[in-house]
Amino acid sequence: MSLVRTDSFKSADELSNPVREALAATLLSLADNKRILGMRYGEWILGAPTLESGIACSAMAQDEWGHGRILYATLKDFGLDPGVLEHDRPAEEYLSSELLDSAVEEWPDLLALNLLFDAALSVQVEALTNSNYEPIHFKTRKLLEEERFHFEHGRGWALRLSETATGREALEAAFRKAMGPSLRWFGRSEAGFGQLLQAAGVSAGTADSLRQVWLDRVVPVLAEAGLEELATEFEANAELDWSDWDADRRRGGSGGPDAETLARIRGDKNRSMLMD
Amino acid sequence: MSRLVQLTRRTSADPGYESDIERGMDFSAVFAETIGQNPDFELEIPEWDAPPADLREAAWRALHEVADPEFPISLPDLGLVYDVEAEHSTVRVTVTFTASACPCIEFIKWDIRERLLEEPGIEDVIIEVTWDPPWTTERITERGRTALRKAGVSI
Repeated sequence: MSLVRTDSFKSADELSNPVREALAATLLSLADNKRILGMRYGEWILGAPTLESGIACSAMAQDEWGHGRILYATLKDFGLDPGVLEHDRPAEEYLSSELLDSAVEEWPDLLALNLLFDAALSVQVEALTNSNYEPIHFKTRKLLEEERFHFEHGRGWALRLSETATGREALEAAFRKAMGPSLRWFGRSEAGFGQLLQAAGVSAGTADSLRQVWLDRVVPVLAEAGLEELATEFEANAELDWSDWDADRRRGGSGGPDAETLARIRGDKNRSMLMD
Repeated sequence: MSRLVQLTRRTSADPGYESDIERGMDFSAVFAETIGQNPDFELEIPEWDAPPADLREAAWRALHEVADPEFPISLPDLGLVYDVEAEHSTVRVTVTFTASACPCIEFIKWDIRERLLEEPGIEDVIIEVTWDPPWTTERITERGRTALRKAGVSI
């Protein structure tokens, strides 16, 4: 990833239309995913296997909502109103992963979001941080600093569960469901938003190179947790199923956050209390 | 303040454990603080040798009277103030926060503005928030560390 920025962009206005749209969608997708992921972490504050991990979920939920707020605010540069983005969109306009559509029922599924999907979001944030698009540079380093702890939490729990055969099986089943959607989230290898952003210099990697960065980060943890088979299966060359991929919304399938999720992330019940 | 400031806690299961009370720590001050009676929880404002040379310095000194909402430590001593500039009657302050989702962001911005506007000669306050470089506990000054220790936070 090159840190040499010879032709920096100081505002979204300096980008060509297709690049501006792709970058706005990437930022919105990050914000939407982080907002909902924060809610998913929050649902485990009471009820995680240990008091400590419940508290960790509370901290991670808080972080994700902070990151969401920072990322929604970046969209002002694209002429969008962060207040509308946060509080006034229907489910079908959310650019969030199918992994997050409804509450996760089991702890290993939350760990899959924590270790796999949260890490995928971080890889994309890093690529924006190391890009030519300047307005993002001063906002994301703090966010990445906080994400290091999320990854460590996911890793610690993966290793802990892998100590028993039952734990390892539960982990493998949960991770298997999340691997494909996490890998696909970076987009298609051929002409798509990843390539467009990288070519314009506003993201430090193509879809494929970011996928590889992510694999390099999570595969060693899978191996440590005795899930080598799963790791091998999903190495870079594995065929991903794109049949239900919606490139515009960066998700599989046509759904979106379910009614309860939507009401809570938008703050529907508290709408009258929003004062700015 | 922030969960990044490590609060050291030992449990009664640890060998050699002695509770804070057994070690003779006096908690009455902590309880008194909750009803606003504890001098240890009052912000210690530095004494300056000479009057401020200019408006920028006056603003910088005034910020030493703005405390973190949870602990008796000033924003500059916590390391949150990255820059202060003054031009005519306008002061621009660049600040960061301990966590990206710090729930006190709006309170702190309000406190900064209120205090600076009390300063003679300041008519406008612009507050810029930055997240870069990210705040860490390394940014807490010696005076800040002493204040936190006094308040029972080990860092």
